[in-house]
Amino acid sequence: MSDPKRLHPIAAVVNALRQLKEMIIPFLIFVVFGSRGTDWDLFYFFGSIGVVVLVLVYGVLSWYRFTYRIEQGELRIEYGLIVRKKRFIPFDRIQSLDLSEGILQRLFGLVKVKVETAGSGGMGLQDGEAVLTAITKQDAQEIHDYLVSIKKSGQILQGEEEPESSDDLLYKMSVSELLMLATTSGGVGVVISAVFAFVFQFEEFIPYEQIFDGVEHFVQNGVVFISVVVFLGFLLAWMIALFGTMLKYANFTVRKVDNDLVITRGLLEKRQFTIPLNRIQAVRISENLIRQPLGYASAYVESAGGSALDQESSKVLILPIVKKRKIPGLLEPHLTEYHFRVNISPAPKRAYSRYLLKSWLFTLPIIIGAIWLLRPWGFGALLLLPVSALWSYFNYKDAGWSLDQGMLTFRYRNIVKNTVYMRKNKVQSFSVKESFFQRKKKLATIEAIVKSGHGGAGGKVIDLEKKHVDTMYHWYSHETVE
Amino acid sequence: MTISEPQKRISEQALTVWKIAASLHSLVVWVLAGGLIAITILFDFPKWIIAAAIAVAAVYSYLFIFLLPTLRWKRWRYEVREQEIELQYGVFIIKRTLIPMIRVQHVDTQQGPLLRKYSLSTVTVSTAATVHEIPALDMEEAENLRISISRLARVADEDV
Repeated sequence: MSDPKRLHPIAAVVNALRQLKEMIIPFLIFVVFGSRGTDWDLFYFFGSIGVVVLVLVYGVLSWYRFTYRIEQGELRIEYGLIVRKKRFIPFDRIQSLDLSEGILQRLFGLVKVKVETAGSGGMGLQDGEAVLTAITKQDAQEIHDYLVSIKKSGQILQGEEEPESSDDLLYKMSVSELLMLATTSGGVGVVISAVFAFVFQFEEFIPYEQIFDGVEHFVQNGVVFISVVVFLGFLLAWMIALFGTMLKYANFTVRKVDNDLVITRGLLEKRQFTIPLNRIQAVRISENLIRQPLGYASAYVESAGGSALDQESSKVLILPIVKKRKIPGLLEPHLTEYHFRVNISPAPKRAYSRYLLKSWLFTLPIIIGAIWLLRPWGFGALLLLPVSALWSYFNYKDAGWSLDQGMLTFRYRNIVKNTVYMRKNKVQSFSVKESFFQRKKKLATIEAIVKSGHGGAGGKVIDLEKKHVDTMYHWYSHETVE
Repeated sequence: MTISEPQKRISEQALTVWKIAASLHSLVVWVLAGGLIAITILFDFPKWIIAAAIAVAAVYSYLFIFLLPTLRWKRWRYEVREQEIELQYGVFIIKRTLIPMIRVQHVDTQQGPLLRKYSLSTVTVSTAATVHEIPALDMEEAENLRISISRLARVADEDV
């Protein structure tokens, strides 16, 4: 079908850079701990250069060895520097092609193609997966067209009519939504802790004590000063997170192409994901603490294999942030098996005391410890009591379930409020748990697990009415006639 | 409305095996307690430490050798029906799990040296997302179970 092709030479650079990036931490340790003694400076200097050169040479050689071709309905890849490896992937086993463009690829008008098969999940290079680091857009298009033609001919053989290809825009994120997403994202916390870690990293080099001594007289009567510094720190962290999220999610678009959901996003690095509709295992709507009061929510799909977001689980974000009431209108026409306007039955009133008890079980030791150790101020920890009472009230209020037209819905809150929509035929196993105390109150905990990537995901609702739990159990049982 | 509880129990030998296993790891606790007592005597620490060490080890042994295995065994039930497998187990929290046959991907039996001595095996049932274990069945029964589950299991590809 086609001659063996090499990747674009830029692939060698991309691979070498990735290698270097992975080495950066051991490298830093090497340099930081190594360069203390002066005699060995030169050794470390040349050692470092040697390593970089080796990596570059390795990158070029492995690029030279890497070839791919399309032959007899298979994508055939040969690679490996010392051990030569061949990987043949039949096209009818390919679930999806994911395209992404990093900065280097964009400079040269190239794309990175990730081939996903049923066997591969979201955990880096897995068996049955292949990555073409940099090929021209034209070549990528060829592979895509070939894949489509194979899939179509397969369908015709099965006696189906050739389906008309369709391409519907499902959702495109507006600028205001992007801003909203960035300002309310949980990534802020990560960045804040990173900034703190970074600041403490350089304790040795920056004479904090001198600085603090110098401003001590000022600080002593100026709590304001510290507050301002802390505030500025947080503001900076928040801006960084904001900027990062905006770059990552700019131009977020979801389209439905034939029977796949295709997601594209990113400003500097463009990425594209494909999720075959029949691989969707469940739909999850999440509302975090900031978004919920504003009426915003995000929607994810749990996907079995197919394309996952990098290292994360196969939970794929399909609607980063939209008004919650708009979700049914956006998703229902395309995910026809799911419907999002369901009546959720809450947990019974008597469950609240158990929710409260459980949260106090966690907070009481903290409060007692705080009072014990920090005598005057420790009593402030008593504030945790009403806070945890309120918190468990929210948890209790959000617990709920629904059974509707072959669809099971769980609603629960850990920190984020989750609503999970599952079809009976996607649920892998179903459990009911009852403790001694739950039995006395006629309550039970229910858990359903769907496949997600290589593992499982699903939902768990605590302390529902036992009768309701039995209803769901009965519904799930394949034995009883409905 | 409720489905009848699963009826089949696991082998009575399981209790013996669990007790032996628990004795082995409570032996570790006794050794630790012995060490603590030795240190207490050597360094002339307060005497109550000796009593406490013995008490902890004794309670541990009682719980893990006698009480918990018995409760666990009493609770363990399973049933393999035409369409599904049902398990029920747990000591304080009782868990009932349903695994539909069409979701079962494969069934394994396995046995360690202790289980082999009592000719028992453990059956594990895997779905695409979860793994479930029925511990300590008679070898013959486990084998039959494995065969009958794999006969009944028909994975519906399009649903995974």
